[in-house]
Amino acid sequence: MLLIFGLGLIAWMAGRGRARTLALAASVRPHSLPTQHGWYVALWTIAPALLFLAVWSQVSNGLIDASVMADPAAQSLSTDLMNRDSILGEARSLADGSLEAAFNPAAEALVKPYATAIRFYGSIGAVAAMLLAFAGAAYSWTRIRPKFRARTRVERVVMGALLGASMIAILTTFGIVASLLYESGRFFSMISPGEFLFGLKWSPQAELVAGQENGFGAIPLFWGTIFIGAIIAMIVAIPLGLMSAIYLTQYAAATTRKWMKPTLEMLAGVPTVVYGYFAALTVAPMVRDFAVILGMENPSSESALAAGLVMGIMIIPFVSSMADDSIAAVPQAMRDGSLAMGATKSETIRRVLIPAALPGIVGGVLLAVSRAIGETMIVVMAAGLAANMTANPFASVTTVTTQIVQLLTGDQEFDSAKTLAAFALGLVLFIVTLLLNIVALRVVKKYREAYE
Amino acid sequence: MNSELAARAPTNWVSTEMTSRIAKRYAAERRFRLIGLFAVSLSAAFLAFLLYSMLAKGFAGLSLSFLTNSDATEASEVGIWGAFKGSLLTMIVTLGLAFPIGVLSAVYLEEYAPRNRWTDMIEVSINNLAAVPSIIFGLLGLAVFLNFMNLPRSAPLVGGMTLALMTMPVIVISGRNAIKSVPPSIRDAALGVGASRVQVVFHHVLPLALPGILTGTIIGMARALGETAPLLMIGMRAFIATPPTGITAPSSVLPVQIFLWSDEVDRAFIEKTSAAIIVLLVFLLAMNGLAIYLRNRFEQHW
Repeated sequence: MLLIFGLGLIAWMAGRGRARTLALAASVRPHSLPTQHGWYVALWTIAPALLFLAVWSQVSNGLIDASVMADPAAQSLSTDLMNRDSILGEARSLADGSLEAAFNPAAEALVKPYATAIRFYGSIGAVAAMLLAFAGAAYSWTRIRPKFRARTRVERVVMGALLGASMIAILTTFGIVASLLYESGRFFSMISPGEFLFGLKWSPQAELVAGQENGFGAIPLFWGTIFIGAIIAMIVAIPLGLMSAIYLTQYAAATTRKWMKPTLEMLAGVPTVVYGYFAALTVAPMVRDFAVILGMENPSSESALAAGLVMGIMIIPFVSSMADDSIAAVPQAMRDGSLAMGATKSETIRRVLIPAALPGIVGGVLLAVSRAIGETMIVVMAAGLAANMTANPFASVTTVTTQIVQLLTGDQEFDSAKTLAAFALGLVLFIVTLLLNIVALRVVKKYREAYE
Repeated sequence: MNSELAARAPTNWVSTEMTSRIAKRYAAERRFRLIGLFAVSLSAAFLAFLLYSMLAKGFAGLSLSFLTNSDATEASEVGIWGAFKGSLLTMIVTLGLAFPIGVLSAVYLEEYAPRNRWTDMIEVSINNLAAVPSIIFGLLGLAVFLNFMNLPRSAPLVGGMTLALMTMPVIVISGRNAIKSVPPSIRDAALGVGASRVQVVFHHVLPLALPGILTGTIIGMARALGETAPLLMIGMRAFIATPPTGITAPSSVLPVQIFLWSDEVDRAFIEKTSAAIIVLLVFLLAMNGLAIYLRNRFEQHW
């Protein structure tokens, strides 16, 4: 591959040089610059060869396997497909050096045929790619003339690349929706959507028993998610975020603002795993001690309050910057009017600015909620695994994201209902966050338009 | 009307009733101001407390051997070099994929895209991707890269690809803003002397927009560096005692290493976890500092 890029570089220089000499010899003004001719030749050299290599790497895998299977050493392999594939895979990684010792004696015998096959097909691929590169270079080389419109051709390729890059975003969205829908579809063929969405008991079992509840009722998870992300975290984040925004934009001196704003934004930059560790190690014991003071017996060390509190801290800068934006969007005339009537600054803020900015603030809070319910590490580390339906903030509750991590990091095979349930939870999470975002953005947009 | 107004006695500002009302309102004003100050200081105090508790617990764990060793079963022998190298490889893959794709999409959307339904779809999906919870990207990586494409588990390659999908929308959005802020007169001038539309963008607009794009890229990369959940999904949680040798070798990354150590029952791991957090925070702080520096140094007002 490096070789091909090397060739491409040579082709670029050669094409440029030839275009220059031809232009000088013919003493006409060429249509395109020499560099563009160079790019044209280089593209013709690199692109077909790379394309061929990409296809070849797929095709040759099958060819290599086929040739190894024809080898006498492979004839003795068991006909069990799973077993055979694992031995073949091991022999293969031994042959290309990514594995150092064999676990399976049967694999050892296959290393040699594998190595020869890989070398054989590898060299065929390399030679063919080189030939293609030379052919492309030769073809494009002969087309260089002063009148040749190399620029137009090269730019067409560039536009194609730009369009291709933007398609990645659509592909990703499509990939998310497709993979979530497909795996959830498989899950719902085992568990009915009704039981999943409205069931009250969450204790997933790997073995399914037909005709009875299997512990896939997700209501306790939804409650835990809302309790931590939308209630406790918001009780912390909304007052602190809103008041910080008001103080920093309306009262603070310019230097205070210059220093405090980035400081508060640092709260959003701290990785969530650090918050999770902080919640589990420092905040959770404090919450437990507090529960003991309140007279509770045996409070759990993992509590909704600890996770929600820390999550609220994390969300503060988010709420604060949204509130900041919407207060700044309130027309100056409304402010001046209120102040001219003799209202004090705080009266203006409370009676005029906040009511006027309310739709924007609500939109920001919705965005913050969608952030909070998708948050994973804090709740994984601090909220616990017990699926309780409780409004007691000192009890342990669990959330959708916690359970996704829990279900997928075990050792089960991939097709069990337990692992597939994670995708169904992911689908619910995806839909809910998407809806929250759409609604929030629409609210904010409407509000902006009202003042323009 | 006029006579009524004239008949009203002028407000007596010095009567006791009036002065006490004014005093009350000023007291409310001061209270409100204090509440605001309290909110700001409380938020800052949380940050200070977090940093202090990490420093207090982890400072003793920082040593040369901690920086050069890899994961081990014994708390006294663990180090972060393996996880650090894994993070580095993952970030290289992420940057290598997300930066070109992100910048090219931003250029396309801002400079060339015709106003039609395709363009709208691209824009909507980019804005939505920026708001999708990170764990969903982990599910995507698990379903597509591991189960469908059969790439190696817990390798920096897969981790980097997953994080690249997550970082790309951030780069596209900041890139578009940077490109948008380049004034149209630059484009008109270049077009006027005969440059093609591709030459206009690649010779003139992109170099001018580069500082803004880089700032956004660094912020996106800092987020990717601290990300844990999607990497747990694609299996990057194994015990790996040697630094990874390449982008397809199994490896760990810094945040996941922190998560794994935080689960250890051995009390000695608390010190090591906090020390690893200090290292991670130093890197994030440096990256964010660089982004702010770039923004202040190269920001142009047209």
